[in-house]
Parts: sequence; C-alpha cells; structure tokens
Amino acid sequence: MGEERASGSIGSSPSRLDAWEKVTGRALYVVDLKLRGMLYAKVLRSPIPHGRILDLDVAKARALPGVAAVVTGKDFPYVFGATILDQPFLTFDRVRFVGDPIAAVAAVDLDTAEEALSLITVELEPLPALFDPVEAMKPEAILIHEGLSGYALAPGIFPVGGTNICNHFKLRKGDVEEGFRESDVILEETYTTQMVQHAHLEPHAAVAQVDRSGRITVWSNTQTPHFNRKALARALGISLHQVRVIGGPVGGGFGGKNYLKAEPICVALALKTRGRPVKLAYTREEEFGAAPVRHPTRIRCKTGMRRDGTWLAQEMEVLFDTGAYADIGPRVCRNAGFSATGPYRIPHVRIDAYCVYTNKPVGGAFRGFGMPQVTWAVESHIDTMAEELGIDPVELRLRNGVEEGSISATGQVLHSVGLKETIRQAAKGIGWGEGRKPFRGKGIACMHKSTVTPSSSAAYVKLNEDASATLLCSAVEMGQGVSTALAQIVAEELGIPVEKVSVVFPDTDVTPYDMATVSSRSIFFVGNAVRHAAADAREQLLEIASELLEADPRDLELRSGRVFVRGAPEKALAISDIPLGESFYVGSKGAGKGKPVLGRGVFHVPDATPLDRETGQGKNPSTFWMYAAQAAEVEVDPLLGRINVLRMASAHDVGKSINPQLIEGQIQGALAMGIGTTLFEEMELEEGRVRNPSFLDYRIPSALDVPEMIPIVVEEPHRQGPYGAKGLGEPALAPTAAAIANAIYAACGVRIRDLPISPKKVFKALRKQKGDQEERPTRT
Amino acid sequence: MKRSIRLTINGFPYEMEVEPRRTLLELLRDDLDLTGTKEGCGMGECGACTVLLDGRPVKSCILLAVQVNGREITTIEGLEKSDGTLHPVQQAFIDHGAIQCGFCTPGMVLTAKALLDENPRPTELDVRRAISGNLCRCTGYQKIVEAILACRRDGEKLDGKGPESGS
Repeated sequence: MGEERASGSIGSSPSRLDAWEKVTGRALYVVDLKLRGMLYAKVLRSPIPHGRILDLDVAKARALPGVAAVVTGKDFPYVFGATILDQPFLTFDRVRFVGDPIAAVAAVDLDTAEEALSLITVELEPLPALFDPVEAMKPEAILIHEGLSGYALAPGIFPVGGTNICNHFKLRKGDVEEGFRESDVILEETYTTQMVQHAHLEPHAAVAQVDRSGRITVWSNTQTPHFNRKALARALGISLHQVRVIGGPVGGGFGGKNYLKAEPICVALALKTRGRPVKLAYTREEEFGAAPVRHPTRIRCKTGMRRDGTWLAQEMEVLFDTGAYADIGPRVCRNAGFSATGPYRIPHVRIDAYCVYTNKPVGGAFRGFGMPQVTWAVESHIDTMAEELGIDPVELRLRNGVEEGSISATGQVLHSVGLKETIRQAAKGIGWGEGRKPFRGKGIACMHKSTVTPSSSAAYVKLNEDASATLLCSAVEMGQGVSTALAQIVAEELGIPVEKVSVVFPDTDVTPYDMATVSSRSIFFVGNAVRHAAADAREQLLEIASELLEADPRDLELRSGRVFVRGAPEKALAISDIPLGESFYVGSKGAGKGKPVLGRGVFHVPDATPLDRETGQGKNPSTFWMYAAQAAEVEVDPLLGRINVLRMASAHDVGKSINPQLIEGQIQGALAMGIGTTLFEEMELEEGRVRNPSFLDYRIPSALDVPEMIPIVVEEPHRQGPYGAKGLGEPALAPTAAAIANAIYAACGVRIRDLPISPKKVFKALRKQKGDQEERPTRT
Repeated sequence: MKRSIRLTINGFPYEMEVEPRRTLLELLRDDLDLTGTKEGCGMGECGACTVLLDGRPVKSCILLAVQVNGREITTIEGLEKSDGTLHPVQQAFIDHGAIQCGFCTPGMVLTAKALLDENPRPTELDVRRAISGNLCRCTGYQKIVEAILACRRDGEKLDGKGPESGS
C-alpha cells in the first residue's frame, strides 16, 4: 500500500522522550527534590572494619537545636537483605566494615546534621578483621556473621554453617577427571580482579515521608521499586499497600542502585519526624565505600583440550569477596557460577563458586553480575591454550563456541545463539590477521550472559481520546533509554507516532508490578508486557470501531492513527473520532457508543527451572542468553609499559534492534566502563579503609581515555522476545579486559593475570622477560 | 556573618546576603532553586557543577559565592531562548543521542558552548580536551563528541587531523 510507518517505529532511532528535560536542566532527580518542611540527614559510620559497639550515646546530638530526630539500631532493630536477611538498617552490637551505619540524624540543614554527628559518642572494641577471602573461608577464621545459620534465605542460596561462606554454588557435568585424562594439553592458572565502583554521577539518594496514618512514601533513585516496597514493608511488619515507592529520572545505576540502599535509614528517621520529609543523599566519599562495589574475585581455571583444539574439560574455582553483608552476592556467585565456563560446548565441567564474607565494602550488583570477572579469567586462559596448541584464538573460539541447539553447562538447550557471528564480526571489525607493527597487537574475547529467571512484568496502556497514549509500567529509566524503547513498542502496536506516547515514572501505587530494572531484562520482560498491553488496547479499540464502521473486528486494520476496513479503504475512522471517554456519540449511530480503552499486558516465565543443589543442572535457568565478542588493537610502549588502546570492535547479538542509536550508546558506554576496569580503576584498601574515595584518585575514563569504538549489531531473533529482541545493557564491559590483555600479549609477549593492567605491571613483566632471555614466539 | 553580593544569573540581576563560606553551587541549587546544575563530587573533580563565569567554564562547587560578586553567571537554565528555542549545542545533543542519564549533561553542554564560542572550528582532539574535565559514566563520550563537532560553524565534521589546509 506504500503507507509510511508511524515515526519512531521499531528499528528506527527517534529522539529520546526525556531528552528535552535533561538537556535544559529541567529534569528533577531525587537529589533535586525539595518538599515543605524537609529535613536533611547525615549518617555516622564505623571508622573501623570490625568491632563490637560497647557504648553509644546520642543524647547531646538529640538536644542540639535544629535536630528533629536521631536513630540508632537500638530504636530501629530491623534487618533487610536481597538474598540473606543479614543487614541491619543501623548496626546493633557489631560493626562489620568501615562505613557500616551506626547512627543517623535528621536536621533542618546539613550543617546542623553534621554538627550533631560530632556530638555522638561511640565506644568501639576492635575485633580481628578479615580482608582476604582465602583466609576468611578457612574454618578457623573469626565469624563475621555468627548467626548465619539462622538467617532467613532466598531460595537457591546455600551457606556453609559455621563459616564465612554465605553461598557455595556447585556445577558438575560429565566427569572432569575423565576429561583431563583424555586431554592432550592441560593448563592451569589463577586470575584475579579488583574492587571497582559503579561511580554513577548521581549519588544514592532518597526522600521519605510518613503521614499521620503511618503510610510511608519514599522517593528513590532505585532500580528496584517493587522489591524495595516489599522489603521495607516486610522489615517493618506492615502491609505492602502502606508503602509507596516513587521513582523519577535516575542519574546512572549500573546495578549500584539495586535493592535497598539509602531508603532504610531515611525511612527510620522519617518515622520519628512527625510527618516531616527527610532527605538523605550520599556524598561522593560515601559512594566510595559505604555504597556497594563489584566483587573482587580470585579464579582458578584448569582447561583440558585435545591437540586439535576440542575442548574436553573445564574446572574452575571462583571466589567472590562479598564484603561485610551478602546483599546480592550469593546470587552473583550462583549466576556467574553456572555461566562461568563461557559460551562453549564442553562435555566435562566442574565449577565451585564461593561467596565469602570479609570486613570490607559490600559486593553488590554491578553491570555484568560476575560475568566480567569470569570472562576475564576464561578468555585470557583460552588464549593461553591457543598459544600452547598453536591454534589461532579466533579459530579456537569458533571451534568450540555454542550454536543454536547446543547444550549448556547446566543442560539447557540453547536458542537464539548469535555468538559465532559476533566473533566473526568483531574479528573482521578489527582487521584480524591484517598488518603487523612492532609492539602492536590484536586480541579477541567473547562472552555470554544469562538473565534473571524467572521474573515477571505487567503494564497498562491507556489510549487517550485524541489517539495519544500513556504507558504505565515500572521500568526504571536510568539513561539506557528504556522508556523511549517501550514507547516505540506502544507506537508500533497502535500505529501512532512515538511522539504521541508518554511514559509515567514508576510509582508502586500506580504502575503495575515489574521485578526490577536489572539483568538486561527490561526490553524482553517489560517489552513483552507492554506489547501485550498495547495489542490489548488495539483489540479493544477495534471492537468499538467495528460497531461504528459496521464491520467485523477481524477485517479492521490500525495504521497511522486511523482504523481502516480491509478491502474498503473509503470506510475509515480516525482514532480521535472514535468515542473513548465520553460515551455520547452524536450522529446517526446513536448515543452511548464507545468506552474507555485500557490495555493490559502481563508477561512471565512459567517454564523456568531451579538448578540442582549438587550438580547445578537445570533445563531453563535463563529465558534468554546474550552473546558478544570484542576485539582490541593496542600499542605497548616497551620502555615504560604504557598501554595505548587504539581501537575496539564490539559485536553484540541483541535478538532484534529496537532503537539503533540507543543500542550504540549502550555499547559505547559499557565499553568505556570496561576500559576503566581494565586499565585505570581500583579501590585501594588499607586495613579495610578506602584510601582513594574520590575521583581524584579513583580515575574513571574521561573523554581523552577512550579509544575509537566500533559498535556492531548482530540479530539472532528470540522466539519469545518482543519482535525477537533480547537484552543489551550488560555485555559490553565483560570481554574488554581479556581482549586488551590478549592484545598486549600479542604485542609484546607479556601476560597479565591480575586486574587492573597497569603500566607498572607491564613494565615489570617486560623487564623480567628481558632478564629471563626467553624467546617468545611472536604472533603473526 | 552574611555578606552582600550582586550577581547576574542568566541575564537577571540578583542581590543577596550570603555566608562567606557558601559555595556558588549551594547558592544556585538551594537558594535559587536552579537545580539544573548538579553536584557529583563536591570537590571539583567531575564537572557536573560546571557553570559559565563571564562565559568561561568553572566548577561552581569549589567557588565561593562571594568570589563571584559583580560577575555574570550562565547556568543550563539560561541557555535556551525566551521562546523556548534550544541552543544549537542542546539540539545537537538531542539529535546525536548524546544524552543518557542526563546528570553530566548540563555541565557538558555549557563546557561545549564555551569551547565553540572561543573556537568555532575545533578538531576532535580539541573537543576531547575541552570536555576532559566533565566526567560521564554512561555514554563513553562518543556521541557527545559527535554532537559537539556537528556544531562547528561551517558544519564540517573533521576526522581529527586538524583544519583542512587552505580553508
């Protein structure tokens, strides 16, 4: 028919819906909120990593003029936790890391609140502190959580009683000893990763207010509004409908804003301020230490292959250092545990992943959820095998990579597997095998990632009387562009321009349930719910229109804001001429026609499976898998060990591209984060205290620190995804470190196994290499 | 003890009484409710608090309000025209997908405007140097750089090698 598709439809890149507010400074983030009578909160945090609280005196602080409330764990004895209920809102009798909140103050301004903190006296008795997870795992180590065996647990979490191990994940497939016996080449190495911070520009913040009936409202920049509502209600022993969590634009999340963070203390104070709202915003210093971090890891990797490169056996021991409280650590341990081998067909696998308490900052969710760490180990290790076998690294990955129908390490039959195409495209993008210059090299790495399964989402689409639409769902817009992409889905289904779709901010009183904006799940799960809701709205509209057009609803089409009768194009109605609110229609058709249209969509995964406790086997632990490959070209300065990343190609299987510009933005942004983790970033601790809690000494990449980035999109549609789409938010920072390390090896024969890769480490290795007078074959 | 200061902000004159230790950022956000300027670190390291002081980018979180007595400040709120038309840099950010979470955006846009006012034909390296004091954790900077380059006076996009010889 040649009709133009409505602007902003799937596959196009309309401007983001929130662009105008953000570029004019009008967007109101939680930190910008100002309510009548609002009080400002400050938190007194433990200065020592492990100790007993002998005395805590807040009387002087309470008496200071301008102070409305002071709370301690004594008057607020509640706990929370994303997997294990091990974290007090405010400490009880123990402090477990530098930054553990001991008391909090709400006052008329920040200066008064700070002064009040200085009037609180705490007497602490230091206890021996554990900083090394290897030490902390030992049975004789001091227990950081003596009550671990008695804590309430989420399903699928298996702590080891009497130790600091809060989860042990096991995967057994085939017979790994048999696999090694059959292998021609077996190599074993240990890799480590460092503590990294999300460093989102907007800090954690919340505003809480309790009304006279005891109803609690929390404005929060959380990524998990419904989870937080439930966790707060559960902790306080009140009904869910008594708690309301409201979101707004979020200034970056990356997993750092998952689950309860600033809200518990904010709510604790608000319960004592007689209705006055309380605002708590973390300082940047608090972000580096009191806020969660990426789990540092220690990963032992043992690989067995035949001479022809067939991968027979993989044994891994992965240690996640989860810090003082479990947060989501046990699940990171589990999910990265069952994915640890990478996207390869391996008949014999043995994985033990441990989540261990230490007296350090809390390991939480961070973009990639354990995959950056295991990918670092496996992808570095494969290249070590490739070198030993004399096989090209790209070839070795293609030989063993998964495909449609391959069986995963847990026994899942894989569907929508674009891995090999991403490897080929990344290699092509970097010019693999072309050109050789001294001290320049190319490296490749690939990855896969699961999505949290099961989970569910719901959405409403209100079709307004003028053919515009309003989408109500709880996906959190934190920069990734999800609200724009979801609006495009509504626009596509209703045949209206995307500019006519508005998206409401998450509000647990108004927007229906969504598990959370995590795990790269929103386009798939919320997108499906939104698609169903929009389709439902369309069906309702066509039902109304069919009466007016005197046609069967099945003969109607919706396009460009009009309803057409198939085969009789002259019989058409604009949506705005169809009564959707006023049920009064003047004309030959009579009055009382038409009614409001409210589309409803729900999406869930009824066929998800748990994983066996002993073998980690399960047929559907992940509804979809994401695949990606990155190739890097680097130049090494042989005198000083400096690494210059020249270019990186990053190829991603997204299932179906909803908005190409947003996809590129995600790839570029995550790649920059990967560069930071690989080359610059490390939270340095001394006796549990962060020595570099500022952007001065913790360097995230600036505009001068990122290489040329080549984003590549591969589409391997998923039969259950909306239009075939899967997810994208997390993958691009996982293979970066190994791609660069492999390129460095190609450039100068130096293999670094501990992140970050610093010039100092490369320099030392080059010196040693020279000193050893070893002849390393250079890669061609 | 408060001191009297006079400022022009986005073209409007203000007369205010401020504590000597009040920062310009606190004055803008808390006293004047101009919340477009953000606090990312409070130490002058991230650039989220960037405003223009007599047209040059400065970090308002480490400037005292009394230090800018008698001067002209431009915040992000002052960039668009009174009829709502966006500044070309703002429009370019929208068109090129240079905005994600938006928290660095006000500071980034003002820095870019100041660069283009001073150097209407920057190279890619000029742009990256100019915005190196504005940290962004979301975008990887690529689209921000493209947006700023698209605002070059002659509309030409350079490949980083410098101005074409002969132009």
